[in-house]
Amino acid sequence: MFERIAIAIAFSPRLQTLLAEANRIQQLFDSELIIIHVGSHTQEDDMKMESSLKEAGLQENIKVIWESGDPAKRILSVCKKEKVDLLVAGALKKEDFINYYLGSIARKILRKADCSVLMLTEPSLKSNPSQRMVIHAEDSPYATQAIKVGTYIGKIQSTAQLHIVREIKLYGLAMSVSSERTEDELSEIRKNLVNEEIKIVEDILKEVDTKGLKINIKVISGKSGFELANFCNRTKSDLLIVGAPNRKMGIFDRVFPHDLEYIFADLPCDILIVNPKRKNG
Amino acid sequence: MDKLNHSEVINLLIQLCVMLSLGRLMAELARKFKQPAVVGEILAGIILGPTILGNFTPEAFEMLFPTSGASAVVLDGFIQIAVVLLLFIAGLEVDLHIVWQQGKQALYVSLVSLIVPFVAGFIVTWFFPEIFDYTDQSKQLVFAMFIGTVMAITALPVVARVLMDLEVFKTRMGMLIIASAMIIDLVGWIIFTIILNMMGSNSESLSLSKTIWISIGFTVLMLTVGKGLINKALPWINKRLAWPGGLLSLSLAICFLGAAFTEYIGIHSIFGAFIIGVALGDSKHLSERAKEIIHQFINNIFAPLFFISIGLGIDFISAFNLQIILVLLVLAFIFKVLGATVGARMGGLSKYESMAVGFGMNTHGTLEVILGAIALNEGLITDEIFVAILVMVVVTIIASAPLMKYCLKFVPTKN
Repeated sequence: MFERIAIAIAFSPRLQTLLAEANRIQQLFDSELIIIHVGSHTQEDDMKMESSLKEAGLQENIKVIWESGDPAKRILSVCKKEKVDLLVAGALKKEDFINYYLGSIARKILRKADCSVLMLTEPSLKSNPSQRMVIHAEDSPYATQAIKVGTYIGKIQSTAQLHIVREIKLYGLAMSVSSERTEDELSEIRKNLVNEEIKIVEDILKEVDTKGLKINIKVISGKSGFELANFCNRTKSDLLIVGAPNRKMGIFDRVFPHDLEYIFADLPCDILIVNPKRKNG
Repeated sequence: MDKLNHSEVINLLIQLCVMLSLGRLMAELARKFKQPAVVGEILAGIILGPTILGNFTPEAFEMLFPTSGASAVVLDGFIQIAVVLLLFIAGLEVDLHIVWQQGKQALYVSLVSLIVPFVAGFIVTWFFPEIFDYTDQSKQLVFAMFIGTVMAITALPVVARVLMDLEVFKTRMGMLIIASAMIIDLVGWIIFTIILNMMGSNSESLSLSKTIWISIGFTVLMLTVGKGLINKALPWINKRLAWPGGLLSLSLAICFLGAAFTEYIGIHSIFGAFIIGVALGDSKHLSERAKEIIHQFINNIFAPLFFISIGLGIDFISAFNLQIILVLLVLAFIFKVLGATVGARMGGLSKYESMAVGFGMNTHGTLEVILGAIALNEGLITDEIFVAILVMVVVTIIASAPLMKYCLKFVPTKN
């Protein structure tokens, strides 16, 4: 599924937890692992890296790449050069006002990466498999792949609950222009709007092995990313999986937030953005 | 404080009763023919107005709808409020979120389908005003801009309904039409605000450049700072006040405040109501259910009063001018359809899909009627031109669904 995984690290207090997560993710997908460090590269750093990797049990199939310059740019350029399928990094849940508009490293990666990205909000030393996962089956050319990745992870980690969320677009407008109907017709339209969305998800699920998974298809309406974040918070989910948007986001998307921008601004939990473009390219 | 006397209260209540009940009846009749309520409501106005009731029983018409006196003033007040509220829900329908999602494609469709008919309408009106029997040379520029704007606008609620009936509402093409109509609404109303100011009926009219800057400034401010404030206030309202009562009354309060503000600074009240609607509708905290309730409330109580009132002031038979009607229809069916089709082709849609978008975007409706009614009140257009606009609106509404359906026959699969 992800053959080459990279993890972006810095010598921060979270280093060991991130490496522990990297180790588990490498095993989960049985893949090669690239460690990317942007910053100084002294002999002391080399030794520090070596001992950290050892402590995390990372010794096989590992490549360490040292880079210097703008962290987000360098990380993304390494991913491109090394044909990375999945980039893992740590992120704070909330962005402050300045970072929201200027963009922290984590958010720049989320917005601009050409590969899949797993952003961990609370990396831990101990194995912490996802118990409640949410997959967004919406508005992305990669929604089906997101469902496939999500169900795969769900099965391997024996997730307790897997929610697949689909949005009814312009529900308010659809209902208000239907107001010239009788009460029965109106409730039929309302029911059909929900059922149509459920059917779309069910059709995708037919192509996916979901044996043993407890799946709940949830239909929501409202501002897509915002309602999705609300749903993750309400269900106390620990991993949200979404397909990558069909274009990269810019400053306008921050001023007029929509879809994933709502999620980026305030990560409800760990987020995996599925973007298999590299494979195709 | 002046008050309505006993008979004026009775008269006003009967006016409202007759308007709402005949409006409903005619809207139901329109529904039977799969047409939107607005078509029936305009017909109800024609029946109740000088065209039919006034011609056959002038005494009854005079008694029911006196042109002077307190009840006429109060009814006019109701209609003014109705226009402001209609613009407010027109703003609510503009979902910037969908516009961003559709990106460049929607921008192509909207801009080309706005520019081509606007320019065509402007040129024809500017160079051949005699076609419209238009003699006021001092207002020729504004008039040309007005006809251009009427041609350029797309009626979002009507086209949304057509798309739902054709079951293409949620397709790529459907969303593209919806997003493009939303952009046109936003730009169209800024243009119309400028036209209103150029009409110069307001004694404190602003200069053209000032109007443009204030309109754009107000729009940007409301969509950034204003939306931020709304985003802060709505969760508090939703949590602590009765729902939907609190939301309804405070939403309308802010709508009236915005309308009063834009009226005060010299741009028309409807612009304020529209932009407040856009800002509120784009808030992540305004639920779709709440939007639906606000829509229902305004669409079923205030909208009929406005659309029926249109027929009360005009004799449609004497103001029927076939030449003007045909000119507007030709302009709409050639240039609006052409503009939208070319825009959709530029956006990468197939030939027949683009043609379907073209016919879909050539759906006129509520906003054109409001625009026409204001222009008529301000003395910019004649009864004949207004009637021609109404006919054009009704014809495009009736024609859009079958024409789109025909084009979609040639589209291999729904995407």
